[in-house]
Amino acid sequence: MPDEPVASLSEAARTYGGVRVLDAVSLDVRPGVTVVIGPNGSGKSTLLRVLVGATEPTAGEVRYPGATGPKPIGYLPQRVPFRDGYTARETLAFYARLVGDDPDAALERVGLADAAGRRVEALSGGMRRLLGIAQAVLGDPSLVALDEPASGLDPGMRERAFRAAARRADGDTAVVVSSHALDLVDAHADRVVILRRGRIAAAGPLDRLLDERDAADVGELYRVVTGSSGARADHTDDAGDAEAGDATGGSDEGSESDGSDESDGDDAEPDVHVTGVSDR
Amino acid sequence: MSGWFTGVASVFRREIATVVRTPGYGVLTVGLLVVLGALLAAGGGGATGFVPAVVDLLLPTEALVPVVAVVLGYRALLTDAASGELAVIRTYPVRVGEYVAGVLLARTVALVAAVGVPYAVVGVVVWLTAAPDTGIFATHTGVDSPLLYLRFLAFVLLLGAAYVSLAAAVSALAASRRSAIALGALALAAGVLGGDLVLLRSLAGGASPATVPASLALAPNGAFRGLVFEHVIGVAFAPESGFVSTGRAVGSLVGWTLLGAVVASATLAYGRRVDAAVERVRRGIRD
Repeated sequence: MPDEPVASLSEAARTYGGVRVLDAVSLDVRPGVTVVIGPNGSGKSTLLRVLVGATEPTAGEVRYPGATGPKPIGYLPQRVPFRDGYTARETLAFYARLVGDDPDAALERVGLADAAGRRVEALSGGMRRLLGIAQAVLGDPSLVALDEPASGLDPGMRERAFRAAARRADGDTAVVVSSHALDLVDAHADRVVILRRGRIAAAGPLDRLLDERDAADVGELYRVVTGSSGARADHTDDAGDAEAGDATGGSDEGSESDGSDESDGDDAEPDVHVTGVSDR
Repeated sequence: MSGWFTGVASVFRREIATVVRTPGYGVLTVGLLVVLGALLAAGGGGATGFVPAVVDLLLPTEALVPVVAVVLGYRALLTDAASGELAVIRTYPVRVGEYVAGVLLARTVALVAAVGVPYAVVGVVVWLTAAPDTGIFATHTGVDSPLLYLRFLAFVLLLGAAYVSLAAAVSALAASRRSAIALGALALAAGVLGGDLVLLRSLAGGASPATVPASLALAPNGAFRGLVFEHVIGVAFAPESGFVSTGRAVGSLVGWTLLGAVVASATLAYGRRVDAAVERVRRGIRD
């Protein structure tokens, strides 16, 4: 993989209502699959939003040295936002027209060709997420950010969603995924970023982190780094960390020291969570 | 240029499809037709000719059209922002201006259908049923004509377009559906009543009545009313003009339309930065 980062965060921070949700995060996003993990409320979603430009950081900056093309960034939010009343194909056709892509091929790529004529609201949660992934990779972006693509899915769908995302990661494309599905992180991640209370607790190539922490797998690594009992090996936290964020990258390691944030009560440690704060 | 066109056309197409698939807008159109028919029947002007019909409809139109326009526009830009889809759209090569233009154009086309069709139906009914011969295409004072009604319809659509744009600006500023409703109602009240109240206040404060034509044109409703008096009712009945400056009144309606579009675009383009700046201040206070 080339050394040139696709995107780079430098001392990026974000607050909501004056509460720090993301704190001085620096990281380089490189080609391959980077998975951001962390407890609920640790800043994963915020990190992804800042990374794709959906949220303006309150400090620091985001650069895209390796993101090129008419659509350099692809993004799937935690809640798949497509309008009801449209079929899967109509939904993708709108986006495909903007980048001159083929909606049918996009549906085919994620295995939704047979559901092309079904309305978005009639799709299962997993199918909606696959549709979201198909949308995110339209136009061949250099940076693809997927917020909890496996959330709320059954094991088969989770694997399918992750595989569809990982397939995009090649020599030039960086795929950044936030997830609690640690078994899938083990299987698909090239790099891992572990967030804790809005800061990067550990980040780097997965193999290196496992060696350094003497951990057998990502689950153990997660427990060692965060001190919590471990994330679910899967699924469902749709209602969870709407404002959480995480990041991946190569550099930063170490534990954060900011203890000023609020707890969301989901894990053993106090995490940042701002109830009711929406981010447009 | 083609990129700009693709962006606007794609957003327009999607928005039009959304409008077509929203049954409420059809109900709104039928409702407006029923109300206009009732007003015409109650006023009796429609049985006499186009200009009397316009006289009957003028005042209600100043409230009905803004209401329809606000209903069409108050969530136009909020829907995508609230659902998170706007963040997705913005990863595509569509500038904020293109997105707003596409949405606004579609909503304006929807307004032309929702308002234009009922008013056109009323015009046809008047043409078919009015007692004096209204089939004369005339431009001379004292003669009723379908052309006068077409002018009225054009002014109605200009008024509606201004309110659709202002409602879209409201939808960009609103953070939720509830706040959009509240802001839309506020904009409606300010637009429908505000201009006249300010004018009355200025007259009570000693302003010269000679300034009325110029002042009247500043508010959308005043501009609309002035244009109708100047180019529809006045043509048929009054030997004099000077109700309002035509250029100023048309400029006012176009200006309100552009203002709404600019406010909507600026809100979407710079809202994140403003939000971040506010957060910096909050954080500074907290620290």
